[in-house]
Amino acid sequence: MTFSIRRVSAIVRKDVKDLIKNAYAILITIFLPLGLAAMLSRSGSDDASLLGTPINLALVITGAFVQATIMAEEKEKNTLRALLLSPATRMEIMLGKSFLSSLITILVVIGSIFISKMQVPGLFYFTIMILLSLIIFISFGTIIGLVSRTVMETSIVGLPLLVIFTYGSLISTMLDNAVVSTIITYLPTESFSSALIILEQNGGFSEIKWHLLNMLIWAISSLIIAVIVYGKSRFDK
Amino acid sequence: MKHEIEVRQMVKSFGKKSALNGVDFHVQKGEIFGFLGPSGSGKTTMVKILTSQLQHTSGSVQVFGTDVSKLRDSSQLKRIGILTDNSGLYDRLTVYENLELFCKLYDVDVKRIDEVLEEVNLIQDKKTVVSKLSKGMKQRVTLVRALLHKPELLFLDEPTSALDPTNKQQIHASLRKLNESGTTIFLSTHDMQEAEYLCQRLAFLDHGKIVELDNPHNLRSKYGDSTINLVLRNGSRIQIKQNENGAQSIAQYITNGELMSIHSNEPTLGEIFIQLTGRSLQ
Repeated sequence: MTFSIRRVSAIVRKDVKDLIKNAYAILITIFLPLGLAAMLSRSGSDDASLLGTPINLALVITGAFVQATIMAEEKEKNTLRALLLSPATRMEIMLGKSFLSSLITILVVIGSIFISKMQVPGLFYFTIMILLSLIIFISFGTIIGLVSRTVMETSIVGLPLLVIFTYGSLISTMLDNAVVSTIITYLPTESFSSALIILEQNGGFSEIKWHLLNMLIWAISSLIIAVIVYGKSRFDK
Repeated sequence: MKHEIEVRQMVKSFGKKSALNGVDFHVQKGEIFGFLGPSGSGKTTMVKILTSQLQHTSGSVQVFGTDVSKLRDSSQLKRIGILTDNSGLYDRLTVYENLELFCKLYDVDVKRIDEVLEEVNLIQDKKTVVSKLSKGMKQRVTLVRALLHKPELLFLDEPTSALDPTNKQQIHASLRKLNESGTTIFLSTHDMQEAEYLCQRLAFLDHGKIVELDNPHNLRSKYGDSTINLVLRNGSRIQIKQNENGAQSIAQYITNGELMSIHSNEPTLGEIFIQLTGRSLQ
């Protein structure tokens, strides 16, 4: 099987042209995390652990939902089938279709950091955690987009994801249930926030390794599921 | 002769319902093969199986001499072109931008876009946004997309269903030209005139089974009633059997200067289909 950068860049360029003509559709997913970051900067707090909230929001909303919208639209308009029946390989299409949403998410994460005026603790580990989160939420976005029949349906299918992953801690506090609380601690967003606090308190690899491992497992699992769901979309039942 | 498509005892079932039942046929290299049948007869299912979008339940399906599952490889997909009812376009992009993407995916020079758009009379709409095109124009754009890379084997599922007679004629001419340059075409249609004009061989499909398969000429001869219709100068119409007596009668009418027109009484493909299945193609 050959890999063609030309084909991947053709898909990316098409997505850029398409998105420019439909930019308003993703504005809310971009402005929500940036708005939250702006609110944080006004609070005057320099507590880096607070940075986890807009970043998680950027990853969940911008990453997953932009990706879900892109995939669902391809499916709804029957253009995904045309791509799948072209010589572009599965990997080329997946990479091409994920590039734009990944880029937008990274820009929103960077934007959130700058707007919130907070110092990023442990830049190296922080970058690794961002990359793992990106794989997790772009994969989730791909899955949501492919299982939804229409773009509208992505909001319904993706809403539980948004609530659970973004407001995990809040749900845990509200329910006051030991089992639920334990499950929530294994969410990648919770690992991300916890690791961020540890890094801020000058913790190192040994203190955050289980959080990193948890995020790595989430990244691998979600990527595998996305590949399986994507593979199935080539065929009719 | 090498067969581009070979289907043997193929069955496709959806649960307990069988959509295609023991289908047998082959398509020779360079021919236009028609799959003619009414809606719901299994034509689209057949195209989907032949393009590996759908798996058959049993039997054998070979394309380019290998199992149809091999069509999932990039190198094989480059050899085929597909136009089906589920071929979508990017609505917000222009005709050119849509086709440019597929030129790059198929490694085709973008100069080819103008060439094919010219053939289907769409060159003037090159910069039009797809959402502003009519249904027929969109259908022509998807056809152009399927033709961009000059495929060896082209699958067409109702390619002219949304077109007006003029554009239909233009598409037919393009398809013939493509076929003359070596492309094998598998055409699924319920349009008997289209099938008659384009296809070298035809399979009639009814309730998932091929009920007849031959070239249009043989089919008409086989299902015709061997009579000849004469119209005489006095306005009367006479039907004569094709035998020695009939030949003598015709000779007599000609000698007497009474004959105005003469036509063999061949059935249309639609009439043959009704004879075979008891239902019409529409």
